[in-house]
Amino acid sequence: MEYKKFKEIEIYPARDLSYNFLGIQFENPFILAAAPSTDDLEMVRRGFQMGWAGAILKTTSVEGTKVDLCYPMMSAFEHEGRKLFGMGNIDLISEHHIDKVEYNVRMLKKEFPAKMVAASIMAGRKEDWQHLVERLEKAGVDLIECSFSCPQGNIGEDPGKMLAQSLSATELTARWVKEASKRVPISIKITPHVTDIVEVARAVKRSGCDALTASNSIQALMGIDIKTFAPTPSLDGKSTYSGMTGPAIKPITLRTIAEIARNVDIPIMGTGGASTWSDAVEFMSVGAGVVEFCTVVMHYGFRVIDDLNSGMSHYLDEMKFSSPKEIVGKALPNIVSHNELPRKRMRNHIHENLCIGCDLCYVACRDGGHNAIDQLENRIAHIDWERCVGCGLCKFVCPVDDCIEIMEWI
Amino acid sequence: MMNLTLTAQQARVEAERCLQCFDAPCEQACPTHIKIPKFISMIRNGNIIGAAEITKTSNALANVCGKICPEEIFCQSVCTRGKQDSPIQIRELHFFATQEEVKKGFSKTKPFPTLNKKVAVVGAGPSGLGCAFELSKYGYLVDVFDKGKPGGVPRNSIPAFRLADKELESDTKFLSKYFSLKKKTVDGKAFEQIQKLYNATFLAVGLGKDRPIGIPGEKMKGVLPVLQFLESAKANPKRMKLGKRVVIVGGGNVSLDAAATAKRLGAESVILVYRRSEKEMRVWKAELEEARKQGVEIRFLINPVAVVGKKKVEGVKCRHTKLRKQKDKSGRPIPVEVKGSEFIIDANNIIIAIGQSIAADWLEGVEREKGYIKVDENFRTSVDKIFAGGDMIAGEGTIVQSVAQGKHAAQAIHEFLSGKQEAASGI
Repeated sequence: MEYKKFKEIEIYPARDLSYNFLGIQFENPFILAAAPSTDDLEMVRRGFQMGWAGAILKTTSVEGTKVDLCYPMMSAFEHEGRKLFGMGNIDLISEHHIDKVEYNVRMLKKEFPAKMVAASIMAGRKEDWQHLVERLEKAGVDLIECSFSCPQGNIGEDPGKMLAQSLSATELTARWVKEASKRVPISIKITPHVTDIVEVARAVKRSGCDALTASNSIQALMGIDIKTFAPTPSLDGKSTYSGMTGPAIKPITLRTIAEIARNVDIPIMGTGGASTWSDAVEFMSVGAGVVEFCTVVMHYGFRVIDDLNSGMSHYLDEMKFSSPKEIVGKALPNIVSHNELPRKRMRNHIHENLCIGCDLCYVACRDGGHNAIDQLENRIAHIDWERCVGCGLCKFVCPVDDCIEIMEWI
Repeated sequence: MMNLTLTAQQARVEAERCLQCFDAPCEQACPTHIKIPKFISMIRNGNIIGAAEITKTSNALANVCGKICPEEIFCQSVCTRGKQDSPIQIRELHFFATQEEVKKGFSKTKPFPTLNKKVAVVGAGPSGLGCAFELSKYGYLVDVFDKGKPGGVPRNSIPAFRLADKELESDTKFLSKYFSLKKKTVDGKAFEQIQKLYNATFLAVGLGKDRPIGIPGEKMKGVLPVLQFLESAKANPKRMKLGKRVVIVGGGNVSLDAAATAKRLGAESVILVYRRSEKEMRVWKAELEEARKQGVEIRFLINPVAVVGKKKVEGVKCRHTKLRKQKDKSGRPIPVEVKGSEFIIDANNIIIAIGQSIAADWLEGVEREKGYIKVDENFRTSVDKIFAGGDMIAGEGTIVQSVAQGKHAAQAIHEFLSGKQEAASGI
């Protein structure tokens, strides 16, 4: 007997995840980042229908800007069996110029008035930046993001040089953009590749712009073929540095957002390495108001929104938070400088009943720690309390959840 | 891994192996079409309750199916990852999620709409419960009639070592708020009344009557029809007494349940005889292996011809068989007895597990086909406003198939009650 597929009747209520950020009403904190997924009207439409709260259309520029793409452009950082631990691209901005993006904005706002439709722009000259802002505002965007941080470099800069790596250029260009905007908030997308991210954030703040998007991909050399010495992705044996995204860069972004939020009072749109609802919670807890996603969507499709919404809903219920907004900044008071950290006598404790006898902690501690773990006869690991300082290494080489605990030595 | 619940770490690691196929074959193979990649991605991202909700949205008996669904013939048999190395343990992940929800407390469902129409469901087995829950989602007032506690086959005859009562109850408790259960034995009179009082009726009373084997001595003391045996072994395991040597006749999953139960009740030797070969058995491999592991001896190409004994069973007289090339209606080669090959297997008990038929004797007016209730593609019977599903329309099936039939029948009932479909089928 055949069982016809039919649409399931939803039996669980959808939790209200909406809130206001930057004067815009977001139906949830999950936004599609400026990327291939937002370059095409059909794609954004599908993303919106599936539940994404907003999209930043792939970066566009004025008609005269040449976008000279080359292929293949994608590559992967494979780590211990996880093929797309990091994703690399040598993509450039959209091949669609402002006319097309303007049209897409109009269509999307008409069809989805409640969604946040934003555009991302990049230009060289003042008049081009300002022209883009004016046209997009007229087309009806809700927000404009300015890419000061394409890993292949900004228009008008030296190759590989990004606007956001110069404090004066950042402030000046941000001022041009802000000057031209009459209606919508402006967010400047920055790079973590700077000596002091706080200085960059301050420059943006001085310019009068409304927010920061932190942060763009990490400039990376994705790999080298060790037989041919061709770098990845190989274009006839040649390559260039990629922009790396995905799970591999999440801790870098977290630090970038936290460092800005701790020092500068400016709203932040978080992006760069978030794949799951709990990543989004982490980003928000260090100061992001919304979170942009790209790599996970390019990997698994727009459908990941279902778990983002469901996971966030259950998390809020469990934490008794009334709105996602309550998460913003929650972890910031806990980030302190090294000299402010508590100095306590710590020890690792092995729950021997959980130990499976791999002795990875033994060898790690012997060759990389304090030689404080003994192998018992039955292969079970045993801490020598006299030598253990509680560094925590063993806990992380242990393959068993909760087998090793770090606790205060009383 | 049978019958073990995964730990959180095992579940996460297993979930990470899932490829997250698009339009996934596993989801298509599941009769209830649980959104498998979606719930697995939720487990992997630490949203276990969300995962449980996904399984429960599609399958009313999510805990029961999570425990004993024969995944090797459904989802897992088509898992893409299996083409690479080994398939994902889908059922184990499913059970992990639903049991976590049980521990935490059932997620609140949203209010269902209310329609001013009543539907009767006769039989609180997998198909009846599947239908009743789906109907209540549409907004119908549903009364479920059953003579005992809800659960049907999973409650009455699936051995407790495969499905504990509390696992079944984690589903029936959840479902109980969505319809009212009428503890009542339905007979001809009651059935007539039901038809008058309700806008539609879904019949799901299952089978329940053991098929006789038709050999001399069948009524002798010590010969046990399988359902009778399994039901009393489950209801009163302490009072169930078996002899030292037990022979089971049959070649399906129920015969394996009986064999494993006999072993657990203390029988020293349990021999299962089947008239064809292993290849023709309609059983789940995992269960067959489990039975063998427990010491059940399985003998093939043997047909019982008479019960041996004076007042009670002393043995069973059998003949060897061989398989013809010719196939029967079931598509399997026909076994023929080998002349002069008689032999006797000593036995104190013989359990007959060769199939079941419909026990309800108040359904004369409803047309049958090959002994089962005849339905069209919309689960309509030959009688107006009466739909049917579960084992009574197709013979012994799996729980998940019965739940799926109930669910699909509910949709057909809804289409009928909202005027989109004719009341009478073409039967």
